[in-house]
Amino acid sequence: MYRYDEFDQRAVDERVEQFAGQIARRLSGELTEDEFKPLRLMNGLYLQLHAYMLRVAIPYGTLSSRQLHMLAHIARTWDKGYGHFTTRQNLQFNWPRLADVPEILRALASVEMHAIQTSGNCIRNVTSDHFAGAAADEVEDPRIWSEIIRQWSTFHPEFSYLPRKFKIAVTASSRDRTALRVHDIGVAIRRSDSGRNVFDVWVGGGQGRTPIIGHLVGDGIAAEDLLAYLEAIMRVYNQHGRRDNIYKARIKILVHQIGAGDMRRQVAVEFEQVKASGHVTIPQAEIDRIAAYFQPPAFETLPDEDLREARRVPGFAAWHDTNVARHKVPGYAIVTISLKPVGGIPGDASADQMDLVAELAKAFSFDEIRVTHEQNLVLAHVRQRDLPALWRKLTVAGLATANHGLISDIIACPGLDYCDLANARSISIAQAISTRFADLERQRMIGELKLKISGCINACGHHHVGHIGILGVDKKGVEFYQLSLGGSGDESTSLGEILGPAFGEAEVPDAIETLVDTYISLRHDGERFLDTYRRVGIQPFREKLYASH
Amino acid sequence: MLQVLTANRLIDGTVVYLAPSGAWVESLSKARVFESKPDAETALAVGTEAERRQLIVHAYLFEVLQAHDDLRPVRQREIIRAAGPSVRRDLGKQAAA
Repeated sequence: MYRYDEFDQRAVDERVEQFAGQIARRLSGELTEDEFKPLRLMNGLYLQLHAYMLRVAIPYGTLSSRQLHMLAHIARTWDKGYGHFTTRQNLQFNWPRLADVPEILRALASVEMHAIQTSGNCIRNVTSDHFAGAAADEVEDPRIWSEIIRQWSTFHPEFSYLPRKFKIAVTASSRDRTALRVHDIGVAIRRSDSGRNVFDVWVGGGQGRTPIIGHLVGDGIAAEDLLAYLEAIMRVYNQHGRRDNIYKARIKILVHQIGAGDMRRQVAVEFEQVKASGHVTIPQAEIDRIAAYFQPPAFETLPDEDLREARRVPGFAAWHDTNVARHKVPGYAIVTISLKPVGGIPGDASADQMDLVAELAKAFSFDEIRVTHEQNLVLAHVRQRDLPALWRKLTVAGLATANHGLISDIIACPGLDYCDLANARSISIAQAISTRFADLERQRMIGELKLKISGCINACGHHHVGHIGILGVDKKGVEFYQLSLGGSGDESTSLGEILGPAFGEAEVPDAIETLVDTYISLRHDGERFLDTYRRVGIQPFREKLYASH
Repeated sequence: MLQVLTANRLIDGTVVYLAPSGAWVESLSKARVFESKPDAETALAVGTEAERRQLIVHAYLFEVLQAHDDLRPVRQREIIRAAGPSVRRDLGKQAAA
């Protein structure tokens, strides 16, 4: 994985001391809150319902064991013993004291981490495929380009005061695990007919109050031109993006208003100018330098393992079927560690669990952990023969829930339990649903079903792209929940359609039960929930759901 | 309409309420209740002054109901702020109760 050079380390260290000075000036009264707020947001520090919240960047979701140990240490020392993994592959601490933040940031910097680009109107922390470097269908490791984009975007003076926040995702697989087309920019690496890897650039996707699927604007961009092309997009956005209305300031609104064709033309003009300047053309030597950090680990030459005997152990086979994916190297496997125990808080991990996963990564997965946008963790390179031992250790720690991709593998934002922007609770709804569907055998019978919950229209819980989406709304101080169907964040991206009037908190599990039962009654052999929905449409679900209302 | 003045304490973000003594306290039950609009506007001025003195951040009024000797916020948001996360009863003010 990438290691800081002297310039990276100095930049982060200097930023920590700069922000420490700003905090001191805030506490002494030299800075007002109005003056301080944009500064703290540039350093990932929010003020939420109960306390400050520090959002730590995990670039493209990759962590070393040492880094995860440090996150556990911070959770114990300065927070309340846990952290929350987010839908942008970051980690949030919910209880830091303002006065402690400099020490926390120094601790992060000591392991090459920071909280920059996790807030504010800048290019945010780049996200990527959590199976990068292990997926059988990828054309190269997308983290190489994620890191190149990170280096280009960090502290870029032209893009530090954008009209709004800006999110970029990168994938190199035909199977999209990044929700690529609901990002401001989605970069998809593919193999061209000539055998070179080229870049398709999707622009203007996003969720929030105006969900839009991105448009293909750049088709087959050459590697050396990628940054020039991205810079051209940013310049068009910076010039024409609205700054007068926060709700219309994202690039998706600009693309929607001028049309994908006009956007493509404007970017092409800007692209020629940026390219001609030559200042962001990437030399092959630099690409090679970054790529060297992402060379595959020293895989052994192994046969695929016969696990029939191990699968006789109760519980192992179910976990093996749901939480273990095929690796590109024979004899290895990709393991998803579910952070969604029955009745648990999606994405939360205790300091002890973080320490354990860090140790397991050292022992079983070349010292590397991934964070997924679905709020789980991944050990990407596990020898198949080690799977039973790994499963036993995860089981002891409550981390072996065999529900990856099933109905209880719910994405949920922090919602009104923590978030200052939320209108309704998300976590409690997730807990009620996962408890209702606690029977794993039933979950497996239902099959793949992605349920996603947001506590407000900002859609941090990705409800627009849930097979079942749940949006919390406030009606005169009381929480209600609006259900939608048919969303998807994969390579066949679609936005959910609202079913009808919202439900009260206590009614939601029954409503989900009705939707699931309807699907079971309608599905053909081999159909997932989404397949059945796409075949029959929303009406049968709507009729069943509101029949008793 | 009964109202209470609340904010977050600057140094640690803790939810606080303006008490009858003029101090900022952590417990809603010890908060001062404003019954009239002029009183509430006066309270906001106290909040602004406390912000200027670096004690608190973002003071605002919210509605409460008097239930026996206790105060209960009308909106869910303030119920959660007063207690802590509803999904982690071991955290926030409720943990010490």
